[in-house]
Amino acid sequence: MKHSNKTIAAGVVTSFLMAACGGGGGGDSSDDSGSNPTGSALNAGAGAPTGAEGSCSATTNGVNWDALMTEVCPKLSDYNLFTDASDPTAGPTRGGVPYDLSTALFSDYTSKYRFVFVPEGKTVGYNPSEALDFPVGTVITKTFALPENTAMPDGAELVIETRLLIHRVDGWMALPYYWSSESEATLAIAGKRLTDLTTINNQGQTLTFDYAVPKAADCNSCHSIVPDLAGPDDQREQIFLPIGPKARYLNKDFSYPDGTVYNQLQYWSEGELLTGLPADFNSVEQAPVFNDETHIPSLSDAELNDKARAYLDINCAHCHRADLTLPADYAGPAGSSGVQLEYNRVYADSPGKFGVCKDPVAGGKEGYPYDVIPGNADESYLLFRIETTDSRHKMPELGRSTTHQEGAQLIRSWIDQLPSASCSPMP
Amino acid sequence: MRQARTFKKLLLVTAISSGFLLAGCDGDDGEDGKAGADGQSADVVAQLAMTTSGFSIPEDAILVAPDAADGDDITEALSVALFDLPEDALVVLPKGRFVVTESIVINSASGLTLTGYGINETALDFSTSNGDDAFRFQGGNGITVRDFGVYEAPKNGIKATNVNGIHMTYTATVWEGELESANGAYGLYPLKSQNVLLENNYAFGSADAGIYVGQSENIVVRNNTAKQNVAGIEIENSTMADVYNNIALANSGGILVFDLPGLDKAYGGNVRVFNNQAYNNNADNVGAGVVGTVPPGTGVLVLATSDVEMYNNQITDNDTTAVAITSYLLVDDDLASYPANYGATMGNGWSPTLKNVYLHNNTIARNGDNPRGALLQPVIDGYSSNMNSKGAPQTFPAILYDGIGELLSNAGELAGFNALVGAEAQADGVNYDPYGAGDQICANSNINGNPAPDYDEVNTGLVYPDDPADVTMVDGDGNPLPHLLIDQMVNNTYLNCVQPRLAPAVVNFRNNIYGCTGDDLAEAACAL
Repeated sequence: MKHSNKTIAAGVVTSFLMAACGGGGGGDSSDDSGSNPTGSALNAGAGAPTGAEGSCSATTNGVNWDALMTEVCPKLSDYNLFTDASDPTAGPTRGGVPYDLSTALFSDYTSKYRFVFVPEGKTVGYNPSEALDFPVGTVITKTFALPENTAMPDGAELVIETRLLIHRVDGWMALPYYWSSESEATLAIAGKRLTDLTTINNQGQTLTFDYAVPKAADCNSCHSIVPDLAGPDDQREQIFLPIGPKARYLNKDFSYPDGTVYNQLQYWSEGELLTGLPADFNSVEQAPVFNDETHIPSLSDAELNDKARAYLDINCAHCHRADLTLPADYAGPAGSSGVQLEYNRVYADSPGKFGVCKDPVAGGKEGYPYDVIPGNADESYLLFRIETTDSRHKMPELGRSTTHQEGAQLIRSWIDQLPSASCSPMP
Repeated sequence: MRQARTFKKLLLVTAISSGFLLAGCDGDDGEDGKAGADGQSADVVAQLAMTTSGFSIPEDAILVAPDAADGDDITEALSVALFDLPEDALVVLPKGRFVVTESIVINSASGLTLTGYGINETALDFSTSNGDDAFRFQGGNGITVRDFGVYEAPKNGIKATNVNGIHMTYTATVWEGELESANGAYGLYPLKSQNVLLENNYAFGSADAGIYVGQSENIVVRNNTAKQNVAGIEIENSTMADVYNNIALANSGGILVFDLPGLDKAYGGNVRVFNNQAYNNNADNVGAGVVGTVPPGTGVLVLATSDVEMYNNQITDNDTTAVAITSYLLVDDDLASYPANYGATMGNGWSPTLKNVYLHNNTIARNGDNPRGALLQPVIDGYSSNMNSKGAPQTFPAILYDGIGELLSNAGELAGFNALVGAEAQADGVNYDPYGAGDQICANSNINGNPAPDYDEVNTGLVYPDDPADVTMVDGDGNPLPHLLIDQMVNNTYLNCVQPRLAPAVVNFRNNIYGCTGDDLAEAACAL
């Protein structure tokens, strides 16, 4: 799916040239956001896109919706998403709602700050299994910050990058912004690599690693579902989608800035931001909480299985998925690998889809004969791929430069307690 | 500072395609003229350069880092140029040898041509890359990749997934030095794609397959050279493929046709391998996974793929065997665990057995001098001892057929698997019934190219007889033991049958037809 007719590069070139010519670039788009709140909805007063071409240099009281809808701006602050433009971790511009996920993608021990901005007058549609149905105009921001010590998430941290997911008329697109200074995040189409970052993990170990801000093009590698081309004339294209904001990951309590502690889905629903939430709230799927504080040895088998399945889902199944609740004849980008790790997949129906006793196809490494060997995590290629940082083998392919020791321990424990299979060690 | 540089490069890359923007600005565009941002009408586009393969680069092409010097890192310019491309873009890599330090990902490109100045003129060195694949095309249609070489990619060379219309020509994917397990995996790597045309490429040094087409349909692979890879050319779980006029040498296995279990596209078929040269494929196998089990010294290996025709190839000087045709039972003989481990994929039509493989008019010479490989070791030991059907040590068969899948099918031993096969696969003919005439593995009219004293060393071998009535040796549980049948390839009764010819593959790329029914209609290889 093409993002827009206007290329990134052309947009940047325009502003650069205008400045060089001394011309009065932009600034003429009207500002109708920040109008008076007209209701009790969480996004009341947030404003909305007008449908006109936006401008990165427009001055808006609220979110610069029009620029978000049409422009690729060189600076994050051009979109006016935060009241303090130098702090993307708090204080969203009117209408922005913070959220988090019960189990999250591991991103080199960074803390993540997420906000969703839905245009005034629009609502999010409930979906039981896939990402919620966010209306056109929605913007999701996710800021990555590396704490000095992961056991003290409120302590000092290095704000590294802010990624935007923008739902435009012609589909979702993503833009990465890199915090090139304390006060400004700049567009990083080609990504950015930071060397020798350090954190102390929950086990008290000091970890040093490079951190890679993904390139803009990398976003599709995880955020797309791809067509299973049905014949020589099938011209369908991949579709860009959000990953995290699914009901099962939002279905948890959140501590809002005003002190309210409330289930996020119910908060959104009662705040007139979400429609279609089932009246029988118990029917809403819930993924378990797993984080670096989780004490794995004390988990029951059922808890261990549930958390491991959520971890595999949020870390792997954006690519490793096929069928189930996807649109017909679409799969994740790694659906073709045969390893499919969705939270909703019934393990007993096909352990092979979880890699059990499955030969590695595109890959493999001596000493790891199968993807998953129940009872023998040490020789399971899947665990090796989760633990290694060798880019020839590592999984996920993107966004991880160091081993998530806590997550790897979870998967190790899961593999070791899986029911025995034909490739398992003899009892 | 770093950001300023980014913008400068953005400008460099895009100014060429954005003349209209510059036209509104009176100032000097700051370009050196080479970029062609001169505001002139582009009705008649002049030629900027010609690649060594004769491809004309027009002046209005998008040039990536055209002023880069040898050894420069062009990662940023490349990433920016290939992000969110206009339709039918022509993007040109600079001439020389350059460093790239990240994977280059191209999404949903439509009509893109990415070219260098020639397979030896533009070299991109990924040896210090932090990424995995060198290039990855995801989605899109009508994409041409041509005239450059990719060196030392950490994982795969040029990967293309879910593309309808992918054409790679005059490209090279190279891992220099010895063939080692730490070399990259696949060189040229179209996956889950339609209309795949790979021609005039060079793949060297991959620790998996140099030229690999997986889970794809409508494929032409021709005029390529694959050297010193674990697998030279591999067609896996793919349908309607023609592989011709290629050279596969010094790999562990020259040309492989595989159906592997557990993949999204469960099985392939209608694969024609013809007029290729597969010689001296004797490299030690440093691969992992199933490809790691390919015996070194294998010219061609057909594994669990039905409907394969091989003809008019020259298969010589391979240490183990010229052509091995085997079921998946050779890889995994734990039949009792098949329903548990492969039930889902068998439901989708994957089968450990193979049917309708037809070898004819191949020239076979000087193979089997030093057979090896763990997968075949018991068979090798048998043929080189008195345990074979001749009762005396034999040169390892040049054509080797395992026969076990057919024997078990004919004995009704696999009938229970029929219940696993889904309706769609059944309708496509997948079953475990006894083999009919159309299912048979046939080899005839092949040419023994050995000189006179060694003429009788070109043999056909069947590990198991296909007729249960011929089973004379069983173990204590009544399971058949290897019979190690062997006889001369020419004028013997083994595999002596004929199958109908398979249909040619048709590649429609940008509304032109390629292959034996298209641009190669008059090609000699297509005539036989």
